[in-house]
Amino acid sequence: MDEKTDQKTSRRNFLKSGAAVAGLSLLGGAAPSILKAAAPEVIRYGTMHPLTGTYSALGADQMHATQLAVEEWNAKGGVLGHKIEWIYRDDQLNGAVALRRAKELVEEDKCDFIGGTLSGSISLAINEFAGKNKVIYVTDCQTDMVLGSDLNKYGFAFMVIPYSAALAASKYTFTKLGKKWFSITADYRWGQSLLEGWIWQSQQMGAQHVGNVYAPLGATDFSTYFTRIMAAKPDVLVMNNLGADQTAALKQASELGLTKRMKIVCTKSALSTMKEVGAAYDENVLGGMSFYWGLRDKYAGSKKFMDSYMKKFGQPIEQDGESGYVATNVLFMAMQKANTTTDKLKIAAAMEGLKYTLTKGPEYVRACDHQRVQSYLLLRGKGRRANGWDLADIVEEVPGDSIIMSCEDNSKKLPFVNIKLPK
Amino acid sequence: MQGAGMLGDLSWDLIVMQLFFGLALGSVYVLLASGLSIIYGLLDVVNFAHGTFAMLGAYAVFLAVTLTGSFAVGIASAVVVVAILGMVTEFVLLKPLYGKDPLLPLLLTFGLSVAIPDFMKVIFGLIGKPVSYPEALSGSTTLGLLTFSNYRLFVIFFTMAILISLWLFLKKSDLGLIIRAATRDRLMVQVLGINTSRIWSIGFALGIGLAALAGAISAPMMAATPDMGVEMTMVAFVVTVVGGLGSLGGAIVGGLLIGVIVAFTSLFAGEYSTVAMYFCMAVILLIRPRGLFGESGRE
Repeated sequence: MDEKTDQKTSRRNFLKSGAAVAGLSLLGGAAPSILKAAAPEVIRYGTMHPLTGTYSALGADQMHATQLAVEEWNAKGGVLGHKIEWIYRDDQLNGAVALRRAKELVEEDKCDFIGGTLSGSISLAINEFAGKNKVIYVTDCQTDMVLGSDLNKYGFAFMVIPYSAALAASKYTFTKLGKKWFSITADYRWGQSLLEGWIWQSQQMGAQHVGNVYAPLGATDFSTYFTRIMAAKPDVLVMNNLGADQTAALKQASELGLTKRMKIVCTKSALSTMKEVGAAYDENVLGGMSFYWGLRDKYAGSKKFMDSYMKKFGQPIEQDGESGYVATNVLFMAMQKANTTTDKLKIAAAMEGLKYTLTKGPEYVRACDHQRVQSYLLLRGKGRRANGWDLADIVEEVPGDSIIMSCEDNSKKLPFVNIKLPK
Repeated sequence: MQGAGMLGDLSWDLIVMQLFFGLALGSVYVLLASGLSIIYGLLDVVNFAHGTFAMLGAYAVFLAVTLTGSFAVGIASAVVVVAILGMVTEFVLLKPLYGKDPLLPLLLTFGLSVAIPDFMKVIFGLIGKPVSYPEALSGSTTLGLLTFSNYRLFVIFFTMAILISLWLFLKKSDLGLIIRAATRDRLMVQVLGINTSRIWSIGFALGIGLAALAGAISAPMMAATPDMGVEMTMVAFVVTVVGGLGSLGGAIVGGLLIGVIVAFTSLFAGEYSTVAMYFCMAVILLIRPRGLFGESGRE
């Protein structure tokens, strides 16, 4: 065969095959996992978690925490005598898949209550779906879904609103670490929400924002952003990103000695990130979390929760899982309070204003905007002193009431809606 | 903060440093793409598990560094162990598919790219493993206004050394000559009585070894995580398409070019740094579909 033609065909095949594989990966199957105990009077509760892909560690934590909560309630005889039938599915951290899973849970599995999810944008879509289909939705992730017109009767948020995390981290930063700051922001809605919080606080406290770079979600190289940062010479480098992105950014910052020249503050961090970064997650790096297992030395509730979780799953839980535990518990508590397992409006109403103490200090669900009012922690890395899961010291627990805006402000997304983000 | 103001304070030292970071980034891409290119050129196999083997290289470094404490041992063992794994994969799984539908090896490697990361999750857990920068290469070197990371300097020079050795191997050694010949015309090589089956195994192992090397030197810059291979496979494909299929020179120029493009996009519009790579590929496909070194470079 003529060599030239041969090669041309090959190239075409190469490209075609590439496209075929891209298609295949989009189809990527997800086997639903079902724990069934078909009885007429059961409470059907379905949750979605990213069990495959980059965030599968967090997804597994959410799933485990939900499982623990359901098992604890069932061991007590269920809610008002009704057993809980729990179904979970893999949403692959993909909005379209999550919506499909939510539909299946509601329409095929007849769930009246749904929960889980790890992404702010996915939670927005599921929240809208839940509102339209009149099913109660309790989410485990940082989300804006309870702000402004996105708030509906059926949706409740059990992780902090993104801006709250930013307010907690920024207030500490500007008070203790320095006022000249630079930010790396993951270029999607969640990262931008954090940045809005930081900029607002910066304006309030007279700090100086010397620059921001947006990095695409899933970026693995940050070195190319660092020249700009080194030139700006900030006191503090703020990271509004997560997961593998944050791991790479921190490792590469340490490579260039940035951790020695400035403090680094990750608005939201994770145990998995601390583990993956290793020794470079040292005392110059601060990370925000809504829950850290070390709280067990402070609160009886944390200790009880962590003891049963560790006993069952052998390792501490991430904040995203802890919120799933609380969400699930509060949902069932609300049923008890409302004395019904079927009247969803009554249950939702009972959840509004519900006070409880579970995994941290006393908390409540704020009636006006359906969010769990909870503290936010700032942790300092232990670097080489880290040992096993003992990865960080809690430097501050910022009270929940100090990092949320008023009901009226939240209903209008104030003041953040007026913040002009850098290009 | 960005935009017009950024252009104002753009100075030569910033440009030099950005170029440096781009070349360091590109070096990893070159290693990835040259491996993919060798495998494709020699075996006509579109290796969709290329990044997966790079990921195995990263885990091998983690294990070796944990056991021996030496990064050098880590890199060497990553290449050797993963290349052997590659050879076994070729012998056991790929060989039966030669001469059949070209889609079959692709589906096989795609399957591996899904199965191996899951297997690693079962063995090593869902959370990735940290690999520290080697002590000797940590820190940075300052030249006037310029700050270079020692590790990235190492990445650039090390890649250069590897490529020169590879070039010498392919150009000067008998085995290299046979590999080049088999890449160009496998039938002719078979007619000459050479055991091409053995050549393919060696070629596959060589390509996989390069992938493992890319994963190994990337490990300290991120972490060894089960899913890190996905992006590496994509990058390898983009660079290979840009540089030209089956061309080592194309992989080198393509890799460095993409690295530098990503670096300068980061400087001006960070959010588009990933898109820039694909945009570059689209442009090349439109104006020069065979890639920069498409046909002439099959060496």
